[in-house]
Parts: sequence; C-alpha cells; structure tokens
Amino acid sequence: MDSKIREVILQNKEEIITQWLKEIPKFRMEDSLQNITDTMYANTNREFVDKLLSTVQNSDGDEHEYGSLTLFTERLIQLGWPLNYITRGLQEFRKITVLTLAKNDTDYYQSVELLQQIENWIDEIVNLLVNEYSGSWENTVFLQKMALKELSAPLIPVVDSISVMPLIGTIDTERAKHIMENLLQGVIEHRSEVVLIDITGVPVVDTMVAHHIIQASEAVRLVGATCILVGIRPEIAQTIVNLGIDLSKFPTKSTLKKGIESALEMTKRRIVELED
Amino acid sequence: MQVQTHVDINSEWGIVAARQAGRKLAREVGFGSVDQARITTAISELARNIYLYAKKGQIHIEEVHRSGKKGVKIAAIDNGPGIKDIRKVMEDGYTTSGGLGAGLPGVKRLMDEFAIDSVLNEGTTITAIKWLR
Amino acid sequence: MRIPILKLRDYLLISVQVELDDQTALQFQEDVLSKIHEEGSRGVVIDLTSVEMIDSFIAKVLGDVVDMSNLMGAKVVLTGIQPAVAITLIDMGITLDDVPTALDLEQGLDRLQLELEG
Repeated sequence: MDSKIREVILQNKEEIITQWLKEIPKFRMEDSLQNITDTMYANTNREFVDKLLSTVQNSDGDEHEYGSLTLFTERLIQLGWPLNYITRGLQEFRKITVLTLAKNDTDYYQSVELLQQIENWIDEIVNLLVNEYSGSWENTVFLQKMALKELSAPLIPVVDSISVMPLIGTIDTERAKHIMENLLQGVIEHRSEVVLIDITGVPVVDTMVAHHIIQASEAVRLVGATCILVGIRPEIAQTIVNLGIDLSKFPTKSTLKKGIESALEMTKRRIVELED
Repeated sequence: MQVQTHVDINSEWGIVAARQAGRKLAREVGFGSVDQARITTAISELARNIYLYAKKGQIHIEEVHRSGKKGVKIAAIDNGPGIKDIRKVMEDGYTTSGGLGAGLPGVKRLMDEFAIDSVLNEGTTITAIKWLR
Repeated sequence: MRIPILKLRDYLLISVQVELDDQTALQFQEDVLSKIHEEGSRGVVIDLTSVEMIDSFIAKVLGDVVDMSNLMGAKVVLTGIQPAVAITLIDMGITLDDVPTALDLEQGLDRLQLELEG
C-alpha cells in the first residue's frame, strides 16, 4: 500500500471507527445475531474494526498482523457469526474509509462518488454469490449428514434374547446419539437380554468414542438388558488402557464369537454338537 | 405462527403442568420421543428449582427459529434469592437440597444451548434451547 | 393420588401408570416400605413401562426406595424403563448403578428369583 494513503488512513482512524460502529448494527437484525448480548456484540465489533485497521498499520507483509486477523476470524466462525455479516462489515468498512478520506480532500470527492456507486452495485453481487455459496455448502453438509445417518448401525437379532450391533466407521456425537436410540429401541423390540456391540469396524477409539460406548452400555442396562463389548483389537486395547479409560464395569471380549458364547452362557444356553 | 406458552410455578402442581405443556409443544414442533423426554425433563428440573429455591416464578416455553433451524426455547424466570456461585451449581453432584446434584448440569447436557443470568437477591433467569436435528 | 401395590406370594408388584409428581413419588416410597414391613416381602418389582419422564428428583426417590428396601431385606428390580427415559437419565449423568433392572415384569420376576436364590 502507498505509504501516503496509509498515513491518511491512520490519521482518520478514529473517524472511520466511529462511523463504522454507527453503521454496522443495521445488519445485526437480519443476520440472526440477536441472541448475542449487547456487550459481547459491541466488543466483538470493536475488535473486528481494530483488527482491520491493524492490517493497514503493518501492510508491508508482516504476517503477524494477518495472523491475528485469521485467529479472530476463526473465533467468529466458532461463535457462529455468519459469513454474511463479515462480508457486509468489510464492505461497509471500505465505503466508510473511502468516503472519510475523500471528505477531507475535495478534489477526490466527485470521482469517489462515482466509484462508490459502482462499488454498491458490485457489493450486491458479492452478497448474492456468498449467500448462494453458503446455501449450497449447507445443503451439501445436510445431504452428507443424511447419508451418514443411513450408514448408522442396525441392531441384528441373532438368536432369542441375543442381538448384535456392528459399528462401522468414525463415531461422532451426532452419530453416537443416533446409535444409542437405535440400540435401545431394538433391545425393546426384539426383547434382547444381551446385546453385543462389535467395534471391529471402528478405526479409532479415543476418550470421546469410549465415552459414547460407555453411555450406550449404561442406557442398555437401565432398560434392563446387558451389554458386551466385542471386537477389541490389540491396538484398541492399548489405546484404551493408555488413555486411562475405565471399561471394567462392562464385560468385554476380543471377538464376536467369544461374545456370543458368553451371551449364551448368560442366558443359560450353549451350543452343542449333534451326535449321529 | 409462533407458539408460546407460559406456566406459573407456585406449587408442586406447577411442575407437572409445565412439563406437560413442554411435552405438548415439543411434540408439535416435531421432536422425536427421546428429545421430547429431554425437553420435558429439563423443564421439570428448572421448574423444581424455582419451586425449591424461589418458591414462585414462571416457565416460558416457545418455538424458536434461527438460520433455518427450528427449536424449543425454555426460559425459567424467578425473583428469588439468586445464585451465589454459578460455577458451583454447574458442578455435577453439588446440591443444597439433598437431591442428586444432577439438576442444572443435567439440563445443560440435555439441551443444546444454556445460559444462566442471576443477580443475588433479585432473581434468576435460565434459558435453554433444543434444536430440531 | 396413590399407586396400587399388588402382593404375589413373597413379592410385591407395582406398575406405575400415572405421571409422577413429587408428592405422589414420596407417598409411593412410604407405601412400598410399609407394605414390605406388613407382608414381610422378599422382593419388589417396580414396572415403569408407562412412565414417560424421570427427572433427577424422581430418580433419587426411586434410588432411595431401592436402598431402603434393601435395608429391610427386600430386593428391588426396576423394569420397563423406556429408551427415551434411559437416554435422558444417562445424559444427566444419572446411572442408577446399584439398581437391578430388567426388560419387563416377567423378566423382572425371573431376575428377583435369581438374586434371591443366588
């Protein structure tokens, strides 16, 4: 950036900030940010504009400054501030900056007005595009979620009172909830006394996944059945112990076969070979 | 049209009335049986807290919309003694009533959003939202 | 409102068919204990199939009934806890660890028999 322009911007810094903070709340309503407290809202806006101006101060490619803007943006995303609001805030910032600078220099004023009209027009289009894009992202995410839901494990009745639920793939919170509901509904439906949860197909068992599995077993116990965790591969056993996860409350078996054997035992049955 | 209902809590019957109203609204909004139970239970906990600590107050239950999502919002409002140490009441197992100490942290886990606003000797407002998945 | 308690040989059978408000729950606790005392019951099955919601208070009352009955020499089994109720309890961090459970009344009675003989 031209050092002269930079200087002018910094000279008018306070006016730009004041103007921007005055204009920006008009976007708040339509962007569903009402549930954020006013103080929080004001503070975040203030930080936003400060971060924007700080990129002017160090625009010689000082990565640190852009770094802090990036960090700030990440936080906004986590807080759920819509992209919409951010782009409009930026556009407003640009308008106000140009206008403020022009006002203090009448020569520019005429041409700036023309410029601003063109910008308004372009901004419309940018907004439209961003909306479209994010709409389509949300749609894709939604469809993928549905696809993942269909992947969720069914409860399979094997013999009277014994059912198996094979789990395949990564388990996140959303899916864990779904699995739990399927599991319990299935237990009632099939009148299963013992359910085997097979985690052979679960690639990683971290504390989170273990937590979900423990919760599922506890819920199964509450509805009146017993859970056996099977398919524990050596590496899974290692991670479970290394992470300090306590599974001692639940029976576990290395394979589904062994699990079925002990499930039969629990229901007072066993497999015998027929003699001719 | 947005649906909204509120129930006065000044006796134990208020607790039952509030959770019945909650279940009805949750069903109308389209929640499944598990989430209906979550919402109803959360209302029960909040209503009981009002009854136990503030003696009287109100439970507001309404349908809410945000960025294309639909949900149920519960607000528990009282003018009671307020909460002295919010961090403490959010700890599992902490109780001053001889209960399980699962009430407020439980509500937080049952719902998707949760906020406490409490002023000592003036009152407490607790809001919680459950979004339709 | 009172919840009816049926006697079957050494056992008490209770099916909770009403929405439990606090007063009913406490009355129920008292009734179960005095019935155990009167009849000298060795086992109790409490069926919760029709209960749509258990919050922390009712969970505590139920847990207490189990502990108190145990003190009086009667084993208690809870049956028919609905999936939605179970999930809600787990979400709240209430696991009712020491409480025996069974799918339904029939299996509850089997379970009692097992516990009393073993």
